[in-house]
Amino acid sequence: MKLNFNYDGNIACRTILQEQFERLDIKYLLLDLGQIEIVDDVSEERLAELQNNLDKYGIQIVNNPKGKLIQKIKDAIIEIVYEKDKFPNVNISQYLADKLNFRYGYITNVFSEYTHTSIENFIIIQKIERAKKLIIQEELTLTEISHELNYSSVAHLSTQFKKVTGLTPSMFKRIIGRRRELSNND
Amino acid sequence: MITHQDSMHILLADDDEDDRTFFNEALQELKMNNKLTLFKDGKELMDYLEQPDIKLPHVLFLDLNMPGKTGIDCLKEIRANVRFKEVSIAIYSTSSSEKDIEDTFIEGANIYIKKPNDFSKLKEIIKEVVNMNWQFHTSGLNIETFFFSI
Amino acid sequence: MKILRLFKNSQVFKIALAVAILVVCYLATEFYSQMKKLDSTVELIANSNETQLELEKLLSVISIYETSLRSYIITKDETYIENRFLSRGKIEEAIKKLKTLTTNNSIRNKDIDSLKNLIDYRFKLFRQTLIIAKSKSKSENLNRLELNAKLLESSEVTDKMKSFVNKIIFSESIKAKSQNNNHQFELQDSIITAFLLVILSLLILLLSFQKMNVDIDELQKANDKLKLLNESYNSAEKTAGFGHWMVNTETNQYTFSDNLYRLMGVEPNVFEPNIENTIKYIHPDDLDYVTKVHLDSLLNHQPTSMIFRFLTPNGDVKYIMGVGSFTTNSNGDLIKIGVNYDITNQYQKTLELENNNKELKYINTELEAFNNIVSHDLQEPLRKIQMFISRLEEKELDLLSGQGKEYFLKIRASANKMQTLLIDLVDYSRTIKGDKVFVETDLNKILEETLQDLSTNIEEKKAEIQVGNLPTIKAIPFQIKQLFINLISNSLKYSKEDSIPEIKITSGKITEKEQRDYKIANKEDYYKIVITDNGIGFKQEYSEKIFLLFKRLNTDPKYSGTGLGLAICHRVVDNHKGFIKVIGKPDIGAKFYIFIPKGDLL
Repeated sequence: MKLNFNYDGNIACRTILQEQFERLDIKYLLLDLGQIEIVDDVSEERLAELQNNLDKYGIQIVNNPKGKLIQKIKDAIIEIVYEKDKFPNVNISQYLADKLNFRYGYITNVFSEYTHTSIENFIIIQKIERAKKLIIQEELTLTEISHELNYSSVAHLSTQFKKVTGLTPSMFKRIIGRRRELSNND
Repeated sequence: MITHQDSMHILLADDDEDDRTFFNEALQELKMNNKLTLFKDGKELMDYLEQPDIKLPHVLFLDLNMPGKTGIDCLKEIRANVRFKEVSIAIYSTSSSEKDIEDTFIEGANIYIKKPNDFSKLKEIIKEVVNMNWQFHTSGLNIETFFFSI
Repeated sequence: MKILRLFKNSQVFKIALAVAILVVCYLATEFYSQMKKLDSTVELIANSNETQLELEKLLSVISIYETSLRSYIITKDETYIENRFLSRGKIEEAIKKLKTLTTNNSIRNKDIDSLKNLIDYRFKLFRQTLIIAKSKSKSENLNRLELNAKLLESSEVTDKMKSFVNKIIFSESIKAKSQNNNHQFELQDSIITAFLLVILSLLILLLSFQKMNVDIDELQKANDKLKLLNESYNSAEKTAGFGHWMVNTETNQYTFSDNLYRLMGVEPNVFEPNIENTIKYIHPDDLDYVTKVHLDSLLNHQPTSMIFRFLTPNGDVKYIMGVGSFTTNSNGDLIKIGVNYDITNQYQKTLELENNNKELKYINTELEAFNNIVSHDLQEPLRKIQMFISRLEEKELDLLSGQGKEYFLKIRASANKMQTLLIDLVDYSRTIKGDKVFVETDLNKILEETLQDLSTNIEEKKAEIQVGNLPTIKAIPFQIKQLFINLISNSLKYSKEDSIPEIKITSGKITEKEQRDYKIANKEDYYKIVITDNGIGFKQEYSEKIFLLFKRLNTDPKYSGTGLGLAICHRVVDNHKGFIKVIGKPDIGAKFYIFIPKGDLL
């Protein structure tokens, strides 16, 4: 029997972290932007053990400050993309600068130095990623999806979709559909 | 798991020697500090992959028209194996027919590259693909919906 | 003519004939009665005359008797009265005769009776006179007085008689005269009647003869026609290769047409038409089937249709289509009529067609394989060439001499040209062999995709594209896209150097002029799509040529091309059962008209 799942990676991750902390008996505090504050002091070994356990979930403890910043930026952007309603008319650069307390110029520099891509590009990638998720869910039409992602029109969404993936949204949908069929027939 | 862009592990399976050479030279000229392993047919590739202790590649470039085990055969086999779930597979082919592209995507490929006829173009393509792949991996994106056609 | 037509109508004719015959009968009866009348009239006249005669005779006898008596009285010669009984006898005779003559006339009869009485009285007087005359007794004077008295009485009676007779005679003569007159009239009438009779009879005879002639003529004509029809039918059977047969289900009598025999490979009427004889000519493999179907149909009276083979005596096999159906003849018998049709040709043709088809399919598969070679296997080495060219260019170009560099660049150009050609060839072959699946296609979407695909080129040339509202039509989407791509890239390629390329893609109704120029029967039957540009244009005299395969008008190296683009466009429009036309004006631009028939025609 095959089942399809919808999931929110963030929630899954946080649950895993919580479970791990509990298992290793580490006290923690959940902060936003992907930060968790560990209340007690934890030894290097414990940290290594934690990191080991988290490895198989693909979760990394980000150690360096720049890395942390990058992560924050990414999380912030993801939040904006996925919870559009919270940020109706946001100017992303302004928002990031305010939220992270740095000049936007600095933020972009660090971001591109570290990730080798621009924030704009990252935003676009995230938006298209969400678009993919929405297309798969089949609850919204393309027009509604383009609206949800702040595109001026379906054509605009399609153009960007094609730029990022090389496929049109309809091709994408078709491929996913046929992949499912294929796995259903196995 | 990837920590930074450096030292991406790349595999290429192509029966054409010249294409292997081009790819290698292009990658070298890009100076992206990647590790490239070359295979001259599907069987070699699969034999290598089946070894239990290898470090999983980040990206695998597969030529479609190979003697014996074709690219599609390898694709199906790899995608049937849960172990390689996180490996991006790029189809590297001469065909540009929409049908071929779709079919390979349906079978589980993530990237489709039409072999270019210009070296500088080849460099550009490899660069973009590697970049895109790294972006995808570091942004927590879903490999099932990762598609890139160029 | 109407009358003539009426005349020809046999019903009318029969009625007319009946009427005519009635008239003739009537006239004949008339004539007969007239003759009879004539007869009786003549008789009456004869009668009258005879009566008169007898009366005269009577009178004369009486006169003679009187004279005899007188003579005796005078002479006392007995010889005068010797014959008085004879005379009396005569008179009696005459009276009898008269009685007979006047039997039919009661008045006259009574007259004769009166006359008889008178005569009897006269004779009484005669006797008395005679007695007196004879008597010698008495005195002469007394005798003489008595005698005179008697004589006087006698002569009075005689006068009475005479005048009576004369009266009768007179009336008889008048009667006779009138009868004579009647007779004349009646004669005339009867002559006329006789004449009419003859004329009418003649007329009837003539008309009947005429009608008979006409009828015979018509019959003859009909017969001739029938003969001709029969002849031509027979010929037709022969020409068309079919024969027919009949069987009367009551009498079980079979009839075969001449050509049916020929179909079986024998001369007509060479054998008695029946089942047993025919069996010999049916192919043994089909025999059971054919006889079963036929015999079954004779029981259930259902029409039959089957295909079987005749095997002629000289070994030819003929494929026959046999159909049979039931009808009734004029006697009410159920007849089965069948037609056997030689379909050997068609059958063979079908076989041929099937074979051809197989061959064609085979050739097609070969072509497809060839196509694969062209599209993939040729492109591979070409790609390599181009790759190595680009490597060399990058790394070693400087090592070449000036001349060497030039040669190198030419090699590169040729290789690129070859690649474009190969791509175009692949496109062209796809329009020929590709999936010909027609779906509802929104041309606006196709155009949008096209413009996106060509977006870099469009931006490069800073072209302005105007898009009208295009219809949704039944089409093969990828082919239409190819069509648009080729036409718009052409417009971009052949744009004028110093001006901004303006390209318009619109759809509209067909104008009267276009209808005339392109011989379109009905304006409503086609979609019209127009692609206009303001490029370098071309001379209108080449408007047909440019669609030919590999035909290029402009071989200026500035404008690279393979000569396939428009051929592909033509092919695509062809596949959609439409047509493409172009109007070119040198240095002004070109207008491409695409006409595609609407749904029902596809």
